[in-house]
Amino acid sequence: MVLLSPAFGFMLVALLVPFGILLLMSLWTAQGFGFDTSLTLDNYRQLLERPIYGALMERSLSISGSVTIATVILCYPMAYYVAFHVHRNKMIWLVFITLPFWTSYLLRVFAWKVVLGYEGVINSGLMSLGLIEAPLEFLLYSQSAVVITLAHAWAAFAILPLYVSLEKIDKSLLEAATDLGDGPVARFMRITLPLSLPGVISASLLIFIPTTGDYITPALLGGPDGAMIGNLIQKQFGPINNWPMGATLAIVLMLCIAVVSGIFILLTMLVRRRIS
Amino acid sequence: MSRRAFTRSLMAAGVGMFSVPLAGRRALAASDDEATFFTWGGYDIPELFGEYKEKHGALPNFATFGGSEEALTKMRAGYVVDVSHPCNQALTRWVSSGLFQPVQTDRLAHWGDVMPELVDLPGNDAEGGNVWMAPFDWGQTSVTYRTDMFELEGEESWDMLWDERYKGRLGSLASGGDAWWCGAIKAEVDFKDIDTPEAFDKIAAVMREQRPLIRVYTDDTTTLEQALASGEMVAAMTWNSSAVLLQSEGVPVKFAKPKEGALTWVCGVMIHKDAPNLDRAYDVIDSLLSVETGKFMIGEWGYGHPSKKAFELFDDETLQGLGLSANPSNILDAGHFQIPQSQEWETKMNAMFEEIKAGF
Repeated sequence: MVLLSPAFGFMLVALLVPFGILLLMSLWTAQGFGFDTSLTLDNYRQLLERPIYGALMERSLSISGSVTIATVILCYPMAYYVAFHVHRNKMIWLVFITLPFWTSYLLRVFAWKVVLGYEGVINSGLMSLGLIEAPLEFLLYSQSAVVITLAHAWAAFAILPLYVSLEKIDKSLLEAATDLGDGPVARFMRITLPLSLPGVISASLLIFIPTTGDYITPALLGGPDGAMIGNLIQKQFGPINNWPMGATLAIVLMLCIAVVSGIFILLTMLVRRRIS
Repeated sequence: MSRRAFTRSLMAAGVGMFSVPLAGRRALAASDDEATFFTWGGYDIPELFGEYKEKHGALPNFATFGGSEEALTKMRAGYVVDVSHPCNQALTRWVSSGLFQPVQTDRLAHWGDVMPELVDLPGNDAEGGNVWMAPFDWGQTSVTYRTDMFELEGEESWDMLWDERYKGRLGSLASGGDAWWCGAIKAEVDFKDIDTPEAFDKIAAVMREQRPLIRVYTDDTTTLEQALASGEMVAAMTWNSSAVLLQSEGVPVKFAKPKEGALTWVCGVMIHKDAPNLDRAYDVIDSLLSVETGKFMIGEWGYGHPSKKAFELFDDETLQGLGLSANPSNILDAGHFQIPQSQEWETKMNAMFEEIKAGF
């Protein structure tokens, strides 16, 4: 209990109190430049009535859902390789794999802008190869640009938990499966995948939760169709000047993430039970 | 409850340090001795502060914003700077926020060179011959287009940014402070009536019509300039400087003189009432008003500047080529000059424009 108290105190100040303030503020309403502090559910009602809020929320969840799936699928083989096929200097491999993530997040987003841009690396490469006549415009300022960038930016958060859970798998189980006649595919499906599921779950949550509210990437690369709920929340606290609505959106976003994550954990638990 | 009272109670709750701009907190990573200039992105460059640097051996601290409404919101929440940079349209709202002190003109060495018609703006008169805002830059918001790629049909016009032929190759400033007003010109709404429900409907309709044609809305002028240079965009809503910069790079662009008239504005600098470095705040303003800065603003950026002496350095032909005149009213009255609006209007407009940009 004594050991926990500094962490708990910090949580109280840095998490619970601000959350309480956010919750309280979402029940106020904006009035010119101040607040009407009488409690009301007006903001929540508006959120249901105006289509923009629901649509952006849905878009954010689907973009970060795609990001999560893409990242986990791309990172799993990397983590798998390091866990099973690298025998010496594993630490150095891990450091090298995470090396790109030592640069600033903003810098990586800008790098993608250069790569995906109209005169960017991909377009000029394809054009010099004669594969395309004119630059591909859908690369930048689109939802796909946001998905690509986020998937790269958050990859380290997938590789590490996946690696840890793959590394923990008892190799003798794999040998036993081979001895009993399983091929590589069956062995993977019946042993490796189920045993690495905790890693998959934590990687998915680690990526899904922060990317849903991401705001820098869609602001820089999303274009008009790529705006996410984070951008709208920022606008509420900036030019639109409606802090209570911003607070309401933040609370509802939190709820949505909690519900989706809860469903995801439940589903994986069911799948795990069925496999084993 | 006012916003300041709210941030103060946040502090009391002990969570102040974790939240957004705070009472009494100054620009991050900045030297305490220098004045802080809170300005539009792009104005944070040494070329504008030659005098200041000479006097103090360092540049002022900079903080930037993408739209002046955002800046005012931050300062109302308790962000303290020395000098900030609104435009005539925001002037009365900034003054009524009570966050600023009058500029004492006798403390400015270059005040004598300032053109009086730029000072004489609605709501700018503080008592005793002082002003709330010292004018600094003035100019136009119009269409910069590629002369080699944009096929002009008839005269130059705001219709260029609504041209279906160039769907996905048009750009716009993201801030409603520019875009909404340009929409009003396009929708033929008189600025005097811009605060009526019909005006809102009309402007919203043209903005919705334009939205699918726009490749990107951005407050970052560099993005627009690069896109115009590469041909990604063929026309975009910009200020004077983008066209002049691109021309100096040899890109075939032109800053249109739309037949409906361009949007015109005067921006200037105001001093925060709690400015921690008041003397240096005046040095910032003096530096901005100096002839050298004016020469740079006019010659390199194509903006108007308040210094008569700076204009004397250019001949009429050069000025005409830049779309400027030594007599500001020639330019400002030829276009549509922005009119100050209420806070309610500003908030409503921004909320509506954000929805439109997001596709609703």
